[in-house]
Amino acid sequence: MTDAAFSALASLADPSLLLMLAIGVVAGLVIGLIPGLGGTGAVAILLPVTFGMEPEAALAMLIGALAVVHTSDTVAAVLLGAPGSASASVTMLDGYSMARQGQAKRALSLAFLSSMAGGLIGAVGLTLAIPLARPLVLSFGSPELFMLTILGVSLAAVLSRGNVVKGLMAGFLGLLLGLVGTSPTTAEERFSFGSLFLSDGVSLVAVALGIFGLAEIASRVGQRKVTEKPVELTGGWGAGIREWLTHWTQVVRGSLIGIWAGVLPGVGATAGTWLAYGQAVATAKDKRKFGKGDPRGIVGPESANNSVEAGDLIPTFLFGIPGGVPSAMLLGMLLTYGIQPGPAIVTEHLDLMYLIVWAFAIASVAGAFLCFLATGSLARLTRVPFAVLGPGLLVIMLLGAFQEGGQIGDLWVMVLLGVVGFFLKTTGTPRAPFLIGFVLAIPMERYYYLTANLYDGASWMLRPGVLVFAAVLVVPVLWSLVKKLRGTSGQADDGHRDEHDGPEADVDDLEGSLAGTAWSAGLAVLAVLVFAGALWVSGSFSEEARLMPRLVATCGLAAALLLTWQEVKVRRSRTARPVGTAPGTAGEALGTGGSTMVATRVEPVTDKRTHAHAHDLRIAARTFAAMAAFLVLAMVGGYLAATLVFTPAFLLYAARVRPRTAIAYTLVLGAVLLSLPTLLPVDLPLGLLQ
Amino acid sequence: MTVVVAYADTPPGHAAMAAAVAESAREQEAVVLVTAVRGESPPEVADLERAWPEAAGRIEVARGDLGDPSDAVVQVAQRRDARLVVLGLRARTPVGKLVFGSTAQRILLDATCPVLAVKPAPG
Repeated sequence: MTDAAFSALASLADPSLLLMLAIGVVAGLVIGLIPGLGGTGAVAILLPVTFGMEPEAALAMLIGALAVVHTSDTVAAVLLGAPGSASASVTMLDGYSMARQGQAKRALSLAFLSSMAGGLIGAVGLTLAIPLARPLVLSFGSPELFMLTILGVSLAAVLSRGNVVKGLMAGFLGLLLGLVGTSPTTAEERFSFGSLFLSDGVSLVAVALGIFGLAEIASRVGQRKVTEKPVELTGGWGAGIREWLTHWTQVVRGSLIGIWAGVLPGVGATAGTWLAYGQAVATAKDKRKFGKGDPRGIVGPESANNSVEAGDLIPTFLFGIPGGVPSAMLLGMLLTYGIQPGPAIVTEHLDLMYLIVWAFAIASVAGAFLCFLATGSLARLTRVPFAVLGPGLLVIMLLGAFQEGGQIGDLWVMVLLGVVGFFLKTTGTPRAPFLIGFVLAIPMERYYYLTANLYDGASWMLRPGVLVFAAVLVVPVLWSLVKKLRGTSGQADDGHRDEHDGPEADVDDLEGSLAGTAWSAGLAVLAVLVFAGALWVSGSFSEEARLMPRLVATCGLAAALLLTWQEVKVRRSRTARPVGTAPGTAGEALGTGGSTMVATRVEPVTDKRTHAHAHDLRIAARTFAAMAAFLVLAMVGGYLAATLVFTPAFLLYAARVRPRTAIAYTLVLGAVLLSLPTLLPVDLPLGLLQ
Repeated sequence: MTVVVAYADTPPGHAAMAAAVAESAREQEAVVLVTAVRGESPPEVADLERAWPEAAGRIEVARGDLGDPSDAVVQVAQRRDARLVVLGLRARTPVGKLVFGSTAQRILLDATCPVLAVKPAPG
């Protein structure tokens, strides 16, 4: 075991691997600085670049980026009060207050060092997980692996923030999308509607980039520009470094919470960071300074958000169950290299596992070091409005999705899924279960068939491992029941201490902004139709190929119907009760004067909200239309020509930048596109006229 | 000195408010309300003064920087250097006590000043 570890370290001494790691670290730091792009964005943007590389080099680059994204995302949170990624919003609470008191360097050095330690402890956790889990993983047969895939999707659905039914529905939608294409057991085509393109299945990169990447672009292009002046970088680095050493217990606790949150599917960096903050508050005796610049409010969460990414990798590589969205994409990448995560990786690719551990640890240290050196100059990047970054990101993401299959159809799928992702996001439906379901659909089916053929009847269900997983599966169901009960009976008490619903939590105002409106009811109805259609179509499949789609469609139909019923109930109760009289007992206790006052106060607010919705939707619709226009251009005139026309148009009309900037931007982007195919194994889509 | 109330718009919350008003009457201390229910908007001072006229002029509404209600109450109490925290308890079934944690319990354990727990009048 130690041999494998040190030979992996020796292989990292290879200059080409080190170069890839360095590129990954720099890219990860830059992506972390840009508001709105987190670990998901980092992997999504870099993944296409790695196609055609050796698996070691590709992993070094991706892990390097993933390890440091949460180191640099603090910069914008502390200096601007606008978090670089959702998980940095926690650091903002205390970090921004500290920076406004003229101690920006103290806050940043605390954050960088904690991030580094979080990454290192995460890497140690990953290392320890390998020998601990190895005998366990090797004892797994197909029934256990089948149960694990079910567990992965359902845990992701239940543990994701928000409504459990919505999470389940998203998980089933993802599973259904994963079933499109050729059935692994009978080699017949499912849900391909006779199209040759769909018979290959939908490409993972297109799905991930669409659901997360394009949806993110569309929802952020309309975001108001950052007008605040950043806080000056004052104070001393040294004070923060010394202070950090006194908070080492917080670092360890935060990191362990992060690893745990990472191991659980669907609990990503954001939730893990809030958990760490809640823990820091709960264990503190003196709570006076939290929210006003308490170092403990920075140290714990910052350690957690880096170790989450390492924790995510544990179930991904050892069991083949992605712990989060970035690792779901890594899993997809490994599968394209023919490396099957799970028991096989422990026996055959142990060196790769240790390479990941070393890369993670080295990147964490290097990332923190670079942050100390370059924060002053890099901080300016955080002020670039997203609308300006939009076209560049769009061109790169679409190009990335094209690399996997070389088909322009993938790009249309991606834009379509971008629309889906946007509505999932705005209606408060978690998207992580969707992607995890998509990735696990085929393994789930394969393990199920192995199980059904190797064991007669239901005897596999009595295997101890299966029973344990079944028990774990029941716990979240009970937990959601408990949540329900508490929702109806307890108003004053909420047993669970978490900071999630804190007043400062809604930094991302679009997330869930359409929940409870006609749009979210419409989404539920649409899902019902999709599942019903899938059920009907699956009737024509052969006995063997039919089982899985049937199961998914039936369960999905049930979830979607339940959700529709919930939506209708919410809407009916809202229309029955006029806006504003919601605090029912308030009127009785304080006299009727109070309730009418409340009523008049609330109404203009809802008015403004619906107005904002219309505005957001209009911008998103325009952005998706622009994406479609770009694709049409690319199909006609080729990718480069489309970029040269689309980018300046978008920059001048949507982002409203100066013409000079637009021209320079376009030329740089064009040059990058021209030189890419010579530097990397990348193909540009060809147009009809070329 | 001040008296902090973990306020909720429920019978236990009103009982806590009444107790706080009575407690603070002798020394004419400020009564600081903190909402102890997640997601509920804080009450208006004017409404409260109408309901408890004897405490008029002494009622304030404060907000902590923390999301968890019990943490917010303790934080405000510490910041204001409160003499006393008053909170209302509500009836729980034995199963309810077992399954659900309690904001009140955490305030009792975390607070650094005396805590007065009151129950609403039966019926």
